[in-house]
Amino acid sequence: MLTYVGRRLLAVVPVLFGVTLAVFSMLFLVPGDPVKIMLAEFVTTPDQVARMRAQLHLDEPVLQQYGRFVGNALRGDLGMSIRSRRPVATEIGENLGSTGRLALASMVVAIALGVPLGLIAALGRNSWLDVAAMGVALLGVAMPSFWLGFLLIFVFSLHLGWLPATGGGDLPHLVMPAVALGTIAAAIIARLTRSSMLEVLGQDYVRTARAKGLGGFAVVVRHALRNALIPVVTVFGLQFGNLLAGAVIVETVFSRPGLGRLIVGAILSKDFPLVQGTVLFVATAYVLINVVVDMAYAYVDPRIRIG
Amino acid sequence: MRAMHSRQWLIAIAVILAALSPGVRALRVADAQGGGALTVALDQEPPTLDPHASPSAVTYQIIASVAENLLYRGPDGKLVPWLAESWTTARDGKSVTFKLRRDVKFHDGTPFNAEAVKFNFDRIVDPKFKAGGARAALGSYAGSKVVDEFTVQVLFETPYSPFLNSVASGVLSIVSPKSVREGGDLVHTRPVGTGPFMMKDYVGKDHATMVRFPGYARKAPWSDRSGPALLETVVWKFVPEPGTRVTTLESGETQGIYLVPAQSLPRLEKDSALRVEKLPWPGVPRIWLLNVTKPPFDDVRVRRAVNFAVDKEAFLTTVYRGTGLKAFAPLTAVMLDDPTLRQAYPFDPEKAKALLGEAGWAPGGDGIRSKGGARLEIVLNAIEYGGGADPTAQLIQSSLRDVGIDVKIKAQARPPWYEDNYRCATHGPVMFLRSIDPDGLWSLFHSSQVGANFNWSCVKNAKLDGLLADGRRESDPARRRAIYLAAEKLALDEALTVPLVDELAVWAFRATVQGVKYNFNAYPVLSDATIRR
Repeated sequence: MLTYVGRRLLAVVPVLFGVTLAVFSMLFLVPGDPVKIMLAEFVTTPDQVARMRAQLHLDEPVLQQYGRFVGNALRGDLGMSIRSRRPVATEIGENLGSTGRLALASMVVAIALGVPLGLIAALGRNSWLDVAAMGVALLGVAMPSFWLGFLLIFVFSLHLGWLPATGGGDLPHLVMPAVALGTIAAAIIARLTRSSMLEVLGQDYVRTARAKGLGGFAVVVRHALRNALIPVVTVFGLQFGNLLAGAVIVETVFSRPGLGRLIVGAILSKDFPLVQGTVLFVATAYVLINVVVDMAYAYVDPRIRIG
Repeated sequence: MRAMHSRQWLIAIAVILAALSPGVRALRVADAQGGGALTVALDQEPPTLDPHASPSAVTYQIIASVAENLLYRGPDGKLVPWLAESWTTARDGKSVTFKLRRDVKFHDGTPFNAEAVKFNFDRIVDPKFKAGGARAALGSYAGSKVVDEFTVQVLFETPYSPFLNSVASGVLSIVSPKSVREGGDLVHTRPVGTGPFMMKDYVGKDHATMVRFPGYARKAPWSDRSGPALLETVVWKFVPEPGTRVTTLESGETQGIYLVPAQSLPRLEKDSALRVEKLPWPGVPRIWLLNVTKPPFDDVRVRRAVNFAVDKEAFLTTVYRGTGLKAFAPLTAVMLDDPTLRQAYPFDPEKAKALLGEAGWAPGGDGIRSKGGARLEIVLNAIEYGGGADPTAQLIQSSLRDVGIDVKIKAQARPPWYEDNYRCATHGPVMFLRSIDPDGLWSLFHSSQVGANFNWSCVKNAKLDGLLADGRRESDPARRRAIYLAAEKLALDEALTVPLVDELAVWAFRATVQGVKYNFNAYPVLSDATIRR
């Protein structure tokens, strides 16, 4: 197991090297003088431009700049945001919690909606229940989260007045964003649960369980569902990227603080250090989460042997 | 078996927690409702609330009643005393002396005096400090002299008359020296001023709260009463999505919003529970800068033809729908208005066609004019906002097609858009500029600004340079007006631009909110605001 973990972590190194290279090159791939572009909306004096250039070390050889970038990143120093003049790491830290809570809550929504839907569809295969459940799932996949977000605001804030439309913070602020963001994942999980469940229900051990006289509930929940959910665990990791992409939109619609809004704001204001820092952070997190999911997958599914 | 089952879930949740939990911190939304609290939703979050560091208008929307200035400028554009009781400009224009009020204290209890003014201005030019718009506002600042405790003389290398308007603008508002020296980063989220409100808290990407300063005993220059603000609390929420912003106003979650989207404006205006307020922006209107170095725009007749051909009325009815007025000149009407400017270019397609004919561009087979086999094609540089190019670009395209000009819209992201402008590579961009002094024309037209911000007409005109330099030297308001009127007339005569729309700052409030006033920058000052119950 330990060797496996070690090997997996070693394999991450070249990926992260590629990530830093891509993130670092961003500054040079944009046409034009990055300093001029970053300062474009300021009324600047030549003095300010020169200082910005020095601050970003743009006067040094490229290789040296890259070395500095990687070295600083390894120490957790992601530079200073141009717009807010605060450390990028601080900005990320402040916004991480909000996005984390949103991600977690939307995953809860996804599971609470997705698994029962998939289960109902599988058990009532080809019946109207199946059609209805999969219809709901299809709708969930097809519905853009911003549109669902507006719909929720329209109904629950404007007309019913139950929930606040904007802001981060406690549970009432979390409900609508989590539903808007979790619905797509719920639909994916529902479809996955259905097909995986159908496969498992046809297995010998399920027939054996039935044959030894177990009741329908025990067979379905203890024997079939437990095994059917193994692939769903994998989806968790893969959904992380989608969640973050969705968070960009959902956080904007509901005016929630978070990483998604941080990245969009940074891109719109051409805040290069902030864009580089957040992209580097998110990419690293994505890679590491997938490693963890791989290991968890092996752990929950005894058929996968590692070593 | 059961244990295994729950363990799968535990792992799955732990995976997410492990990835996301560092930095999880409880964000609390201030419970600000009730007891004279006003909540206003803004379209943006300020990068910082430090008035000297910020490059962004939203900073000054928030702190307009928190940090005060030496002078105040209301919607009528007149300068009146604020923290300074009086001021005199030296005859050579190279210094301004302010007599300061003696009864002013900062929110932290420290006294406001000449030292404090000197500290603030010196801070802005300090090479170690990263100033925002404030640095340019101080022009050729050479230092401040503390004449006595309540008299300060501000010195300049060369005469710099835009300073008086700048000193009344948010960028040069005065913060507590003690708070800057000892507060560290707090100045970015809780600047300490002398105004009727003081900043209380700031939650990134969510809201900022300011509360009444009980020690405010003076009469604010926009008010007709003395004493502290009437509201207990003002909460500024950051709500970037326009549809959500409008909904919060309609549901009562907020009592005011800024930047009403044009498509919602008619509905909000009809709603008797709401009140819409529109204010003119000082600065340069939405304008097409014509690159005079790129043929066929090197021919003034073609540039004039374009001015006659663009149907500005169509902009107002299709895109702006009540959020803008027709623009006539390179400065908005609130900056400088004159009948001669308004008459310069009426919508007259026939005149445009005649001018194009005179310039040798004859009607061609496909409706596009040509000269010597070359089609009359123009490249308009436009920003791609994600949902397509700036709609004004498309309206220009259809207007000019009617007179035989084929406009290609180069819709692109901001960085290459800027780069093309610096290199004078297209026939010019559509842009706008916020500026409280007509000296804003310097960055637009002075020859030293080609390849920089924002002379994207790429014009080098000695006479215009001379007028702009005169405007910086002249301190007499009437003579200054005459100089800038001459500069605007010259710019119109040379057809360096196509002025399109004077955009309006559009605010909407619940009808119960009363007493909101605005300064010259169109930012609300809130000490007289109340909420009727």
